[in-house]
Amino acid sequence: MKFIAMLSAALIAAGAYAQDTIKIGVITDRVGVSKPYAEPATEGIIFGANELNKKGGVLGRKIELLIEDDQSKPDVSAALARKLIDQGAVFILSVSLSPATQQQQTVTMEAKTPQMTPMNSADYLTTQLDNPYFWQTGPLGSVQIATLLAHAKTKNLQRVALITDNSELGQAIAKAFRAGLEKSGIQIVDEEVVSNGSTTAMPQMQKIRGANPEALFVAGVVTATNVLIFKSYRELGLKFPIHASYNLSVPIYMTAAKGLVNGITFVDAYDPDKPEVKAFEAAYKKEMGTAPANLHGYGYDGIHLVAEAIKKAGSTDKEKIRAAMQSISYSGVMGAKGMKYAFPEGKRAGFDPNGMVVRVYEGDRQGRVVYVGQK
Amino acid sequence: MQDFFELAVGAAASGCVYGLIGLAYLLVLRPTGIINFAVGEWAMLGAFGGFVLLTQYEWPYALGMLVALAVMFVIGWASERLVVRPLVEKGAPLLAPILALLGMVVVYREIISTIFPPDPMPVPYALGMGRLELGPVGGSYQSFFTIGVTLAVFIATWLFFERTVAGKAFEAVALHRRAAALMGINLSRVMALSFGAGAVVAGLGGLLVAPNTSAYYLMGVPLAIQGFTALVIGGVGRVAGPLLGGLLLALAEQLTVRYAPIPSGYAQGVPLVLLMLFLLFRPTGLLRARA
Repeated sequence: MKFIAMLSAALIAAGAYAQDTIKIGVITDRVGVSKPYAEPATEGIIFGANELNKKGGVLGRKIELLIEDDQSKPDVSAALARKLIDQGAVFILSVSLSPATQQQQTVTMEAKTPQMTPMNSADYLTTQLDNPYFWQTGPLGSVQIATLLAHAKTKNLQRVALITDNSELGQAIAKAFRAGLEKSGIQIVDEEVVSNGSTTAMPQMQKIRGANPEALFVAGVVTATNVLIFKSYRELGLKFPIHASYNLSVPIYMTAAKGLVNGITFVDAYDPDKPEVKAFEAAYKKEMGTAPANLHGYGYDGIHLVAEAIKKAGSTDKEKIRAAMQSISYSGVMGAKGMKYAFPEGKRAGFDPNGMVVRVYEGDRQGRVVYVGQK
Repeated sequence: MQDFFELAVGAAASGCVYGLIGLAYLLVLRPTGIINFAVGEWAMLGAFGGFVLLTQYEWPYALGMLVALAVMFVIGWASERLVVRPLVEKGAPLLAPILALLGMVVVYREIISTIFPPDPMPVPYALGMGRLELGPVGGSYQSFFTIGVTLAVFIATWLFFERTVAGKAFEAVALHRRAAALMGINLSRVMALSFGAGAVVAGLGGLLVAPNTSAYYLMGVPLAIQGFTALVIGGVGRVAGPLLGGLLLALAEQLTVRYAPIPSGYAQGVPLVLLMLFLLFRPTGLLRARA
């Protein structure tokens, strides 16, 4: 009898605790193709939530994260969004693949539940569906390309080559690169594709060498394939400069491509000299013992934006959170100095088009910012 | 012309890796009749063995390689014991172990992706990064090393089957299982050994290619496909089949990318076209088994 009384007391206490927390759903990818991006972002979300909870949480309540793994599979993803909403999530953060995030929207739109991706970059996420409950603060693909091309323009290039991998995203980025280059009147003298899983990129790099470009644009997003390209570049002793997609902003290049990346410029949304970044890096290192990467910043900004919206709404009412989110203005870790996330005039893609930067590898390290914005 | 020779060495090295994966299929296929698509994942395990022993622990290359391959033998042997044998002993049809091994593809990959981060992991070159020029022919040290090691493996395998009693036992099992068993050949030992040897050869392929491709959790499937194509082109009848097939495949792949006047995106289709043509017109491969 005593035991049952204790058990029910514990259950009541647990129930009260559960009611006290604010539940935020997170849909991530632990085993699929987005894992290299999704995992650090999720670590950033967890770190951010812990930090907020230590300061007393939001509206006096602790944040409770409900984390699910969709393996970047859109069908699984939608079902998980439903599950999270049923479990009481008032907001869903999506950090797996863009198509998966898109599929979740069919659920969040119908269930009128706020959802945001702090990292996905596909342009179509806020344009194909008119879902007033969805926002995107990852830098759009088109912005990344425009920023990289704006920097390239300062070099007065006439003839360039383009190389990518055969992933869907790699092909899409190459297409956007091609369009942007042609629009600026730069001639593409050779265009190559390296299949993922290839054992060498020698034939492609020989062909590019034969076409004698002034620079090479790397649009690929699969790290292993890009490393293959850089190995052939070094082996052939090529000298033309390389401008690369945001994939080069993942930290693994510093170890996986040792001695291969010096001098490569790449587009990023992270400025190591920004005061917010310095504070974030110091706090993260103190708490976790390791330095964070730029990808952690996406998740960290995401959870803070959500907390900010709930604070502004003054309640966990989904409709109030939606209204608060739409009118938010927030300066986070990601983006160039002084950049603020905002959703003016009903827009739901909140990364400032001039908020990206171009950085350069110095030795094996991701180094300084050499260009800001796309003007 | 210099491009061609440069490419020829690199392509031969790629072909050797495909050949090793093809040989790994063959070693299991001949005595057991099982097509084991997990060879690609075995190659991945070999590459990760290289990452752990050579990159993380910085062991001398030869020692690291030997230990990695010994571990591969145990993995192959255990796969047979735990996955294949229970099915065979229960008299399941041949398709059952093939499907079970396909399931093992996921198991191996998930184990690796749980233990290691998702990024490509560096594996060192056997002889360091550098180029060797032999007249007009030039290539990286790693290319020449890969070619040399592969040739040694194929010669050793050939000698084993042709010159040793144990090899003859394998051959006998391949020809007629029941008759071989009646002659006193231990079928289960031959099967376990063939899986062990297959895993060693596949792991070696992974270890040799990893300095270029890095070790990462998704590397197995493309290698499994390329090795299978090499096997189909070369034929399963002779030991040299997969090597010949691998070399032809790699040359066709890379020369098309380099010289064919088609966008390089389309050149990816070459291996598949080759695979289809061979399956349609010469399903026994280039080298036929001796009568």
